[in-house]
Amino acid sequence: MAGQLLARAVRSLALVLACLSPLSASASEAAGFTALVAPSAARAPFTLEAARSPDGALLLRWKVEPGNYLYRDSLEATLDGAAVPLERPAGEAKDDPNFGVVRIFPRDVEASAGGIGRAGRLRVTYQGCSEKGICFPPQARLVNLASLSIEAAPPGLTSSKADASSGESPAAVASEAVAARAVDEGDGIAALFRGGLGGTMLAFLGFGLLLALTPCVFPMIPILAGMLTRSGEALSWRRSLVLTGAYVLAMAGAYGLVGAVAGWSGANLQAALQTPLALGVTAAIFTALALSMFGLFDLALPAGLAARLAGRGGNGSLGGAALLGFGSALIVGPCVTPPLAGAMLYAASTGDAATGAATLFMLGLGMGLPLMLVGLFGPSVLPRSGVWLERAKQLFGVVFLGVAILLAGRLLPPPATLALLGLLLVGSAAFFGGFDRLTASSGPAARLARSGGMVAALYGATLIIGAAGGAQDPLRPLAFAAARTAGQPTADTAVTIASSAGFDRAIAEAAAGAAGSRPILVDFTAAWCTVCRSNAAVMAAPELRARLAPLTQVTADVTDYDDATRTLMERFRVVGPPVLFLVDAQGREIPGTRIVGPVTVEEITRRLDAAGA
Amino acid sequence: MQRRHVLTLAGLLAAGMALPVAPLLAQGVDVEAILRDPAAPTAGNPKGDVTVVAFLDYNCPFCKKAAPDLERAVKEDGRIRLVYKDWPILSEASVYGAQMALAAKYQGGYGKVHHALMAIPGRGVSKEQMAAAVRASGVDIDRLNADLQLHAGEISSLLKRNLAQAESIGLQGTPTYLIGPFRTSTLDYAGFKEAFAEARRRQAAE
Repeated sequence: MAGQLLARAVRSLALVLACLSPLSASASEAAGFTALVAPSAARAPFTLEAARSPDGALLLRWKVEPGNYLYRDSLEATLDGAAVPLERPAGEAKDDPNFGVVRIFPRDVEASAGGIGRAGRLRVTYQGCSEKGICFPPQARLVNLASLSIEAAPPGLTSSKADASSGESPAAVASEAVAARAVDEGDGIAALFRGGLGGTMLAFLGFGLLLALTPCVFPMIPILAGMLTRSGEALSWRRSLVLTGAYVLAMAGAYGLVGAVAGWSGANLQAALQTPLALGVTAAIFTALALSMFGLFDLALPAGLAARLAGRGGNGSLGGAALLGFGSALIVGPCVTPPLAGAMLYAASTGDAATGAATLFMLGLGMGLPLMLVGLFGPSVLPRSGVWLERAKQLFGVVFLGVAILLAGRLLPPPATLALLGLLLVGSAAFFGGFDRLTASSGPAARLARSGGMVAALYGATLIIGAAGGAQDPLRPLAFAAARTAGQPTADTAVTIASSAGFDRAIAEAAAGAAGSRPILVDFTAAWCTVCRSNAAVMAAPELRARLAPLTQVTADVTDYDDATRTLMERFRVVGPPVLFLVDAQGREIPGTRIVGPVTVEEITRRLDAAGA
Repeated sequence: MQRRHVLTLAGLLAAGMALPVAPLLAQGVDVEAILRDPAAPTAGNPKGDVTVVAFLDYNCPFCKKAAPDLERAVKEDGRIRLVYKDWPILSEASVYGAQMALAAKYQGGYGKVHHALMAIPGRGVSKEQMAAAVRASGVDIDRLNADLQLHAGEISSLLKRNLAQAESIGLQGTPTYLIGPFRTSTLDYAGFKEAFAEARRRQAAE
């Protein structure tokens, strides 16, 4: 039973970690919409400029080409994934009998954001249409808050938080396919979302149960027991249960209130909790909590305070019990702050007060459920200590340390995070007996524990090796080795450029080199272009590698959409990557060799044949 | 009642919005692939003499405004081959809507879903609203779900192909209609009729 509880608790913690982890944001972005939209080289109907007002507020100005308009509600800004409120003018009402009233900006418009620091890059998105009856794709820009320079960004619409939390299958997230979701029979998407919310509530209940096992909640037991014993000697088990119920509900209600505030304040809280200072402090608190779990020191309420609280609720009334529960939650709160902060982050990320309240209420309920046992059977039912509790505490300690590392990971270079995780794994493997000697009489459980420990140690060691090699992805710590070998064969004939001048230089060098007058393969690509990545895989196919090896390859990297790359794209009339074509030794495109979009081995072979390469 | 968007083809030509498609051939764009992608849903007369390619998004207000006019014009003309290019660029829900419409194609229900989605007014239609409209459209939802799973790869590659094609001819936004040799955005009923006639005249002259 304890094992089951643990499993559930770990799973719920994983959910909260998913909200905290920097991985989740990038994963949803990759699976989202980015792949379907590429920047257009045509003249933009809207241009964004940034400035600072005398009082330090950030000013965002959109120039709107005549005949176009921006949707007021489409002007949005985020900083590190958290929404930044924008002061926008009211705009003009556009009353369309077909679509109702929308507010638009048909002329240049300025919005301001106060209280924005001078570090980081603000992501600004906007969308609009032309009066001529055409709607442009959403645009995204990154505003460098230090220099106020602006660069283009892939307009990835991240999937909504509700989707992210309902547990999309990893396969769907990982695959290139646009995340498809089936329509549920019955109530369709709404039901699906409700199912997701239900799961989340259950997870938070489990997370609460996990917190109930931390020493933080133990001080509540004497408070509760004191209240029950003082309220009269002839206390029926029913009355006792009702009183305990009121106590637990009130405690859960207090957390629900916190959740409602978190959800209501939305991303502001998230933004506040994302600052290096808050991250550092939270990581430190997690570390301290972990150390306490390892038995370095005990966490408990000051005895006097506990006694006063117990005295206050001594009248045995429902209201008194509720007041006591509410008060206890707030008193015990600081002790469970770090996990609570995680839960609050989740609540805030939903941006919805009701959801925030509901999830944190469930968390409080989970924390209070074991107390119901106290109400039923008296304080003797809860094991005060024992080997299993010690082991469980140590396990939480490891988990808390992991959380601390993930939090610190936002401030540290990725390889350092990897190395820390590796150290944690190796260390815990040793502490949990992964390296202990097995004897002939060791039972299967002991042997299983050793294997688990050794696997953890091996994975930890791999992470440390990966960190030494500069790896960033904990799931692929040794990928750097593979990447190096794969890149080798083309290294001598491939040139990467990002400007028109760079292109001319590359062509001149190729003409002077061994390749002589052979055609040159030009490949427009960008880091955000997922199709380009699969194209690269196609070109690395063995049957093409031999064919491409003698050719000079010029890779035009247009990841940064700046003047240089724009000129380069205009020169070759490239709307956006991926575009592949052959040029002759003078740098002129060979007609009929251009491929736009995904490529196949056959298509490239055909173009090479046609160009006589 | 609102006729502010009434734009004749002549006006569009003058404004440079209706561009002849022919120069695209010179740029090495595979026009045939755009006109005759076997996976793209079609409507109208399969043997029609003029092909209309509609690049649409289910959260594009102008697409929705023009949809009944286009449908009526195509129906009355009787010799128009209409190709639907789902080009979901405006919102995430657009992608979802396009996937559902394309999944319905496997049971011959693309038209039903397409019309249901185009009939929801506005530009901020959510996935939930789209799902409700699809359920009410009369297609077999279980079948649609199964096809969505079964043909996920085909659907996603068609969407990517549409995107690449739109990009290759430098389309700026939705809606964009390729009508014979012309490219245009929103038209009304009279505008579509006129464009069909003009396209036919040009084709005959070539």
